[in-house]
Amino acid sequence: MLNPYIPIPVEVVNIVTEVDTKDIKTFRFAFINSEDEANFKYLPGQFAELSIFGKGESPIGIASSPTQPGYLEFTVQKAGIVTSTLHDLEVGTRMGVRGPMGNSWPIDYLEGKNIVVVGGGFAFTTLRSLIVYILHKDNRSRFGNITVVYGARTPGLLIYKDELAAWEARDDINLNVTVDKGDESWKGREGFVPTVCKEVAPSSENAVTVICGPPVMIRFTLPVFFDLGFSKENIITSLEMRMKCGIGKCGRCNVGNKFVCKDGPVFSLAELDKLTKEY
Amino acid sequence: MEKRLLKKDKLAGIIKNISREMLVYAPVKEEDNVLFMALKEGREPLLDFSNSRNAPKTFFFPRTEIMMKYTRTGKGMELSTGEVEVREAVLFGVRPCDARSFALLDMLFEQDKYKDPYYIARREKTTVISMACVHPPYSTCFCTSVDGSPTSGEGADILLMDIGDNYLVEFITSRGEKLLKYFGDLPKAGEAEETLKKEIAERAEKEIKSHIPAKDIKPILDNNFEHPFWETIHRKCLACGTCTYLCPTCHCFDISDEAKGSDGIRIRNWDSCMYPLFTLETSGHNPRTTQKERWRQRVMHKFKYYVDNFGAISCVGCGRCVMYCPVNLDIRKIVEDIAKL
Repeated sequence: MLNPYIPIPVEVVNIVTEVDTKDIKTFRFAFINSEDEANFKYLPGQFAELSIFGKGESPIGIASSPTQPGYLEFTVQKAGIVTSTLHDLEVGTRMGVRGPMGNSWPIDYLEGKNIVVVGGGFAFTTLRSLIVYILHKDNRSRFGNITVVYGARTPGLLIYKDELAAWEARDDINLNVTVDKGDESWKGREGFVPTVCKEVAPSSENAVTVICGPPVMIRFTLPVFFDLGFSKENIITSLEMRMKCGIGKCGRCNVGNKFVCKDGPVFSLAELDKLTKEY
Repeated sequence: MEKRLLKKDKLAGIIKNISREMLVYAPVKEEDNVLFMALKEGREPLLDFSNSRNAPKTFFFPRTEIMMKYTRTGKGMELSTGEVEVREAVLFGVRPCDARSFALLDMLFEQDKYKDPYYIARREKTTVISMACVHPPYSTCFCTSVDGSPTSGEGADILLMDIGDNYLVEFITSRGEKLLKYFGDLPKAGEAEETLKKEIAERAEKEIKSHIPAKDIKPILDNNFEHPFWETIHRKCLACGTCTYLCPTCHCFDISDEAKGSDGIRIRNWDSCMYPLFTLETSGHNPRTTQKERWRQRVMHKFKYYVDNFGAISCVGCGRCVMYCPVNLDIRKIVEDIAKL
């Protein structure tokens, strides 16, 4: 029997410091065994347990896209024991990954629709996976317009800067990057994410919003989308909870009768309405 | 299913014979407690006992267990062993409520998609011999309120029932039948014993004094996640977790790492929804801020969420949490109060 608790061995092959505060890094892992890579079938929105023997595990959303074979990427903020250890690792170190876990962004449902992606801070990781997935040449025609609103507090806190620039140059994605407060070199937009969403005003016609960010951003952004005519079925988000096993056994990440680890982390607002308000 | 008759004075000898060939856990008297322990040469299994203090789930889901071992290499810590090593064993003298807890835990640990190899390996290699409660031992027993029965064989491979001069021995599963050889050439049970069994079962059920509306509260819980009632139960709770540690169906666990020098282990330990740290996140956010939310979780999990997910109440009515709560919180009273909401 396959043991879901045993991590898949991977090697750190690249580390990118994403922000000027240096506490958010993107780690690229390569599988040690090629059959592990073949078995690791995932979709944007899923997560994995990053596993460091001697320290523990931390559930982190997968930031790379399945259209990027050969590696997995995770963007991680330095916070607790595992993530702090991770931040001190060097390229070439071996560690483990358990997954993929949870459900994904509802790719089948999103097909044929216009997609509005709203992200705040570094909660942009699985949204980046989704955008990369949709923009891939084999997938782009299956989806309608893509509108992205992505905000951070300062320009230095924006992640994936190179990719943002590359997307900016494309004509098949409407990218709106904003910062709460710019600096002398910032030439882009200033303003909070909810305000920018209101200005961009994407149509709710045949459209789905996928939103991830700090709770305060979500709280003020949702009314904007309700005003634009988005139904709760068409506003989709992802939850976080403390987790251990990742497969619905250890009993701590439930919201009502659903486990965020295996029934989530992706839920529509309509689904969340049916759950208890305990997250 | 084989049904045989066994002279009562033969049982202890049979159990001891089995224990010479494989690991047998049986109830033994240990100071003031009845505990399941490995039966060593010269030790008598208890045949006449109420119930063990600890729930025997620990033989499938140990309080602490090593999940894997790892060691330092030039490239970092790497896995050295992840094999699940389990010995063939017999668990003798399990009460029907506790045996039923195995059936309930199977639902979780043997789900179609997500299987727990540690639990399953032990379950597959362990034969459970249950001892029916001909006279339910405690005033706190309430198995019949949660779909159990004092003479049920659910979750057991062999069920023994004291029917007077003999035990009626039912070999329920094929795993149980494999132990037939240790029982010798026993006479088959007939109509008379079947009738006797029925009478005893009915009488035993009538002897259960504690009845709670456990099956009626699900629709109430469905609609009352927010209710002033939840403010009323937790105030005297010490968050000691005794209820969850003694519970035969509680299954929450923590996974942690212990490393020393170049070697380390990843272990899992029982955890408890009664503890503040259970859901505390690294950011400092805790979705269950006070003991109120934790008690609500415990009640909801047993009487609503498990029913939603698996179609069964996650309580077997053993009464341990009632007997051993240091501040006399009583799940029976809580369920009764919820039924009145």
